[in-house]
Amino acid sequence: MPLSPFRLIARHQWHTLLRERAVWLLLGLVLLVAAYAAAAGWTTYRQQQATQVHYQQQARRDWLSNPDKHPHRMAHYGHFAFRPRAPLSLFDGGMDRFLGNAIFLEAHRQNPVNFSEAGFSTGLLRFGDLSLALLLQVLLPLLLFFLGAGTVAADRENGTLRLLLTQGVSWPQLLLGKAAGLLAVGLLLGVPLLALTGGLWLAAQGGAPSLDEVLRFGLLTLFYGLYLALCCGVAVLVSAASRTARTALVGLIGGWLLLTMVLPRAAQALGSYVYALPSKTAFQTAIQADISRQGDSHNPDDPHYQALRDSVLRAHGVATTDQLPFNYGGYVMAEGEKISAGIYTRHYRRLLDTFRQQNQFARSVAFLDPYLALKNLSMALAGTDFLAYTRFQQQAEAYRYALAQQMNQLQIEHIPNRKRPPTEKDHTIDRAYWQRVPEFRYQAPTVQQVLRAEWVSVAAFGFWGLLLLGLGRRAATRLTAL
Amino acid sequence: MLQALNLTKRYPAGAAGAADRPALNNLNLTIAPGEIFCLLGQNGAGKTTTINLFLGFLQPTAGQALVGGLSVAEHPLETRRLLAYLPETVMLYPNLTGLENLDFFASLAGFRYSAAERRDLLLRAGLPAEAHARRVGTYSKGMRQKVGIAIALAKQARALLLDEPTSGLDPKASNEFSELLLALGQAGTAILMATHDIFRAKEVGTRIGIMREGQLVETLPTHSLTASELETIYLQTV
Amino acid sequence: MLILLFQSFLRATGVRLGLGFLLAAGLISLLVGRQFLDRQQRHRHEVGAAQQAELRQLAQFHAKEMGLMLYYAQFGLVNETPPLAGLSIGQRDVNPAVQRVTIRGLEAQKYDADLHNPTNLLLGNLDFSFVLVYLFPLLIIAFTYSAVSEERENGTWRLVAVQSRYLPGFLTQLFAVRLAVVLAVLAALLLLAVPVLGLPLDASLGLFAGTAVGYVLVWFGICFWVASLGKASGTNAMLLVTAWLGLLLVVPAAVNQYLLVRYPLPEALATTVRQRKGYHEKWDLPQAPTVARFFAHYPQFRHFPLPATSFNWLWYYAMQQMGDDESAPQAGELRRKLYQREAASRQLALLLPSLHAQLGLNDLARSGLGNQVRFLDETSRFHEQLRLYFYPRIFGEQPVAAEPWDRHRVQVFTDRAPLRPAGLLLPPLLLALLLAGLGWRNFRRHLYQL
Repeated sequence: MPLSPFRLIARHQWHTLLRERAVWLLLGLVLLVAAYAAAAGWTTYRQQQATQVHYQQQARRDWLSNPDKHPHRMAHYGHFAFRPRAPLSLFDGGMDRFLGNAIFLEAHRQNPVNFSEAGFSTGLLRFGDLSLALLLQVLLPLLLFFLGAGTVAADRENGTLRLLLTQGVSWPQLLLGKAAGLLAVGLLLGVPLLALTGGLWLAAQGGAPSLDEVLRFGLLTLFYGLYLALCCGVAVLVSAASRTARTALVGLIGGWLLLTMVLPRAAQALGSYVYALPSKTAFQTAIQADISRQGDSHNPDDPHYQALRDSVLRAHGVATTDQLPFNYGGYVMAEGEKISAGIYTRHYRRLLDTFRQQNQFARSVAFLDPYLALKNLSMALAGTDFLAYTRFQQQAEAYRYALAQQMNQLQIEHIPNRKRPPTEKDHTIDRAYWQRVPEFRYQAPTVQQVLRAEWVSVAAFGFWGLLLLGLGRRAATRLTAL
Repeated sequence: MLQALNLTKRYPAGAAGAADRPALNNLNLTIAPGEIFCLLGQNGAGKTTTINLFLGFLQPTAGQALVGGLSVAEHPLETRRLLAYLPETVMLYPNLTGLENLDFFASLAGFRYSAAERRDLLLRAGLPAEAHARRVGTYSKGMRQKVGIAIALAKQARALLLDEPTSGLDPKASNEFSELLLALGQAGTAILMATHDIFRAKEVGTRIGIMREGQLVETLPTHSLTASELETIYLQTV
Repeated sequence: MLILLFQSFLRATGVRLGLGFLLAAGLISLLVGRQFLDRQQRHRHEVGAAQQAELRQLAQFHAKEMGLMLYYAQFGLVNETPPLAGLSIGQRDVNPAVQRVTIRGLEAQKYDADLHNPTNLLLGNLDFSFVLVYLFPLLIIAFTYSAVSEERENGTWRLVAVQSRYLPGFLTQLFAVRLAVVLAVLAALLLLAVPVLGLPLDASLGLFAGTAVGYVLVWFGICFWVASLGKASGTNAMLLVTAWLGLLLVVPAAVNQYLLVRYPLPEALATTVRQRKGYHEKWDLPQAPTVARFFAHYPQFRHFPLPATSFNWLWYYAMQQMGDDESAPQAGELRRKLYQREAASRQLALLLPSLHAQLGLNDLARSGLGNQVRFLDETSRFHEQLRLYFYPRIFGEQPVAAEPWDRHRVQVFTDRAPLRPAGLLLPPLLLALLLAGLGWRNFRRHLYQL
């Protein structure tokens, strides 16, 4: 039983490429870089994880070790939320380095998430983050382009292409065979890299991975496999359409440069130009203006709070707030927190919408640039993307709000409502209440939510797959051996 | 076996080599099994275009090229299965040995030969045994040509297309090649050979066609002519 | 002769395409820079206006208590953005150009992040420095990888070698023509940048241009050296693109990883956690010791008596001060490590022209980590001045209305760290010369071989 021409050609391509010493050299070099990236990534991961756990525990201990206190003091004592690193961030750091790692949560104030790696980085970080994902997204495609430029064009140049075709090989068999042979060489590097990723990923779990984690890893593998196949397809098609291997190479490298280096930046620049961002000052000023309009608890003559006081007094049938059966100060603060948090959340949502529009712009460019589709999907599945970050911010804000209101509630219920003479000490409540405040735990979005947020990227992937198939079919009928 | 019906090829204007006149104009030709048809003519007369049309590497502007009764344009894969082809210079994979090249190309065509059979094919094509296991990169042009012949033989094709196969071969190799062709012809293969070599054409051909500016202007049986008569006619025609 | 070489070079479609692409990218980068400068300008105005309005409103709300007024009042310090930053945005998009601080504990405010879209930061800016550092080398590679080898492959080298009176001269011209074209593009873009970004014609701009030229020369050196190896065009392309990848992608990223591992920054979290504890635990302690420690820090305020009330502003700001004072070791360590990171990357940059160029351009444009750390230092100074100014007014219970709030305008920090012309220009020049020299040696050996 003779082998099919497809398999013969694929096998032949594989042997041809692997006969080159330079190919082995390049493969070895990339593996070396991968080993370094994995080792360094693992070290920083452990360092950061250790630091974070340490300070998280310390912050919690500090919180619990507070003595009996006025609950509002505790509302200001506040809490820290630390952004945990996802296990797959070892593979694709994504935005991690540009995102803040810790946020201080206190009453009245929505603090920013501070201490990003980028803020403490010399300009070096802007050259890129050495991760296994970088190797798979950027270097491996380039390598495939280098190797693939000659797949068909070299046969055309030295005349073997005619011979191949007269032997009865069809164009689809030829193109698919060449692409498969190229892909096999690509997998020679891709599989170890993904295996390395799997190892790091398992090591970072500290236990059996959850179903969600397994799905994430599985999908990552799938999309990277598809992307590499896409690159092989493109390389073979460009090679088939080129007269010489050199033209094919120049075209492929040019395309690579455009798609991985220039277009992403240009798209994002255009996106942020079209959807302009307010400055931090403007953002805060707008929030303050809305609060003043709706009711500012800091303004002693604020009409909203005057009306609130009047209605509370009426409801309880008393003349002054001192006669109320609960702590009125706490009540006002709860109202103030509700109003300001509501306004903040509204503005913050609007800001997020602007971010999303900017990002969506670049994300849609994935229809021109499949690299962006992969980059976005990879980050999203690794849990190092914008969605994961906003989740963290939102959960932190929800926690902050709950904490502040819990303290306000304690004040309303347990703090006497009479005015205290200035020399008397603060009223306090029992420190056992501090235990009741749960610790902050970040809940990562589920895989379904991730895919829903990244549907454009998934669609772009599908689009590129179909486009390539279409181009391949067209090429198969139009190409000639001459 | 090979048939051209009003076969015409005009290159698109502006393309390399495009001229006002068609590269091939209204060619009618039938080559029966066992027949060896030699195409003579100057460079650019349309010989290579004819062969490329039979191979399906070019689409005819008008008319048809038929192989075994099938239209090449409509059934490129089926017709190629019946054909073998030997270009002017056979280019092979330089990093593979002669045996490996033969194995690869024969397998592509769907034939599986044992090592002994492959050696036999190479020997029949005239490649000395000690060269079989050497890389093709070290071969001379004649040796590569012989591997090309072996590949054609391995395919057991019913028609053979040859594009100036003997140019650059030394006289001895050229002579061996002629004998091989005659043997193939006797075995029933239809052969179309484009060549500049009038004497070789007279020696192996059953018929000779002379082309000029895309047209087949003369078709002559070789048995009724001597080589010098043929040369006179050729020079008068072109 | 030279003119003919120019013509033959510029007539190639590929060359025109490459030049067009580079010019287009350069123009876009100038627009990106303009947009960046405009936004910075706008933000600066907004901060000024917001500060005036807020101070006025707060003075109205909290007219009775200076301490309460200053609890809320924010004072702005702007890190001045020189127009050159439009050419090399550097870290300016990551780090806020404006700090708005209250006189409360500084460590809790100093590192407040700006509002930014992390996706923008991740993908990076298409600024001029990107075009220079990433795209110029590629164009140089495209122009030169086959300059000599192609002549050999086409067979024209035989003719040239026989015809030319002085072959090394021809070789020089071959590269000189390409260098001239690339430098012309660079000059055109920089000249255009002067009106577009409103660049002053000063020493910084001169050094900026010098650094850019130095970087271009290094890449010509690399290409010249590779050409001198006498390999085929395809091999040259492979070698040069690998060099590009190494210098611009792999090695900088690896160095960055190394710096992260070598200088981790747990102090950042340590400072904040310590600061919170340092301040808050004082609420549960008697007032006197806290205030005593405050007076130890600021003996000049000793004459203010500690009021007998359970809450008073002297105690409050003393507590706030303790947050800073007690986290000072961690904060100092953090600052020291930042300087170490900066120094380490600078040393490594001496060996890596790409890093050297990028960091050098950032330095000149005042957009690097150095500038950021100096801005943070300045913020500390600014904050200290505010405290020294307001503490006596709070403790002395000066009426809020007596303070001329309109005079408290946004302050501007202008980075005047000295430039180091030799450090910027010498390393690339020496490297370029070294590569050219090595290349010559190779060429001399086989120039007349075919």
